[in-house]
Amino acid sequence: MDYLDRYREIVPDYVAFQAIQCQPLYNSARINTLKITREKLLERLEEEGVLFQSFHWYPLGLKLDIESPGKLLENLLGYIHIQEELSMVPPLVLGPEPGESILDLCASPGSKTTEISQMMENRGLVIANEPSLARVAPLRSNCERLGVLNVAVTRYDGRNFPRGPFDRVLVDAPCSSEGRERRGPGVLSRCSPERSLDLQVLQIDLLKNALRLTKPGGVVVYSTCTYAPEENELVVQAALGEADEFRLEKVCIPGLLECPGITEWNGKRLSDELSCTARYYPHINDTGGFYVAKIIKN
Amino acid sequence: MSPRSSRIRNIFEPLEKSLIAKLWQDRFGIPGPAFAGCKFFRKARSIWAISDVDLPRLSYETIGMRIMSCKDRPWKPTTSALQIFGRYATKNLLHLNREEAVIFLEGGSQGIESDCEIGYVVVFYRGDVLGCGLYSHGKLVSQIPKERRMASIARSEDCPV
Ligand SMILES: C[S@@+](CC[C@H](N)C(=O)[O-])C[C@H]1O[C@@H](n2cnc3c(N)ncnc32)[C@H](O)[C@@H]1O
Repeated sequence: MDYLDRYREIVPDYVAFQAIQCQPLYNSARINTLKITREKLLERLEEEGVLFQSFHWYPLGLKLDIESPGKLLENLLGYIHIQEELSMVPPLVLGPEPGESILDLCASPGSKTTEISQMMENRGLVIANEPSLARVAPLRSNCERLGVLNVAVTRYDGRNFPRGPFDRVLVDAPCSSEGRERRGPGVLSRCSPERSLDLQVLQIDLLKNALRLTKPGGVVVYSTCTYAPEENELVVQAALGEADEFRLEKVCIPGLLECPGITEWNGKRLSDELSCTARYYPHINDTGGFYVAKIIKN
Repeated sequence: MSPRSSRIRNIFEPLEKSLIAKLWQDRFGIPGPAFAGCKFFRKARSIWAISDVDLPRLSYETIGMRIMSCKDRPWKPTTSALQIFGRYATKNLLHLNREEAVIFLEGGSQGIESDCEIGYVVVFYRGDVLGCGLYSHGKLVSQIPKERRMASIARSEDCPV
């Protein structure tokens, strides 16, 4: 856990941040409106005596007070999808509309793909890209279970995904996952600044390609479940470069408290604009950790 | 035509909607409009449905949802497809009671009385489509894929209120 010390300067109320790491995270799920309405689903859970609580910031998100929510009939039938609370944020920031064409560049296991699909009411097209063959299976099975009809799966290396243009692109990048410590203790023991810098190379290339594949006026969302600035602000700054072809838009989800992206790291100034991006910390909303940036292509 | 597009066509071949609609109409009485907004492709012995959009020229792993297999006769609907389109079925459907539903969801076989024709049926429980079953001579064999089977749905009894 000492590893987190490197974030002492950037995380507000660092002691609480450190303390919450060993508190396990509650189970949570998203209601899949492709197959059921919120009202019907809640009625069912009540009838069955499942204890739950709606997220106060997102009516389709539920905290489930139950040990194995995966075993619920509602899950097998695709009425709900087990998903981390903050994992529901990036699609909402992306804001896909029915009929649009969307690229989800790093898609498996498809929690965000299927959320995007439901926001689009199964209309339009989502390309869910996932290069790893082993990870295509869970992506496919989640799409099938959730009744998704507007997703096609490709297997390109996201750095070389060949053609667009798309209305919106999500880059939910492979990352060091520091923000998952509450879910899978031990994650932090595998983290190091070197590892973050290795991932950064890949992340910058993924984001650059996403920006290239987006229509003028289109939106790119870059997200990770990690705190390391090397994988977050520094990636966004490097991918956007100097040109004013892109601008950052403020990320803000009403009801969820974000901290502004950092504008200084290890004594180095970063672009002021990065404060538009959002850092979500576990001790502030009682969640995991996430970073989200919203980029508009001019 | 560029080599890439001809490659797509060799893998996912577009199919007439009316062809598919007729098969589902004949077996399950599902009306054609249930498939409005979809288009269909065939790849090897499987048929896929996707929202009615133009697909960019890419090399695809899957296109939409795998809705049926034509590997054997008769053609077999997938459980995923029945959970979407099966609720419009007007024939060859079965309603199970709780005990029967549990066996079905566990992937089991059981004796059931019904006037369904021999072949694949849409299986319901309390208004939900559970999935695809194979019915013949008074026996229902669950076709629920392994990863979607359930040990028990009797959880409400298990949890103290
Ligand atoms: C954080 S996970 C994505 C989670 C997913 N978006 C969800 O919400 O369910 C990152 C994914 O990126 C994939 N990935 C790794 N290298 C990649 C690359 N070069 N291009 C695209 N995706 C890649 C990984 O296999 C992994 O499935």
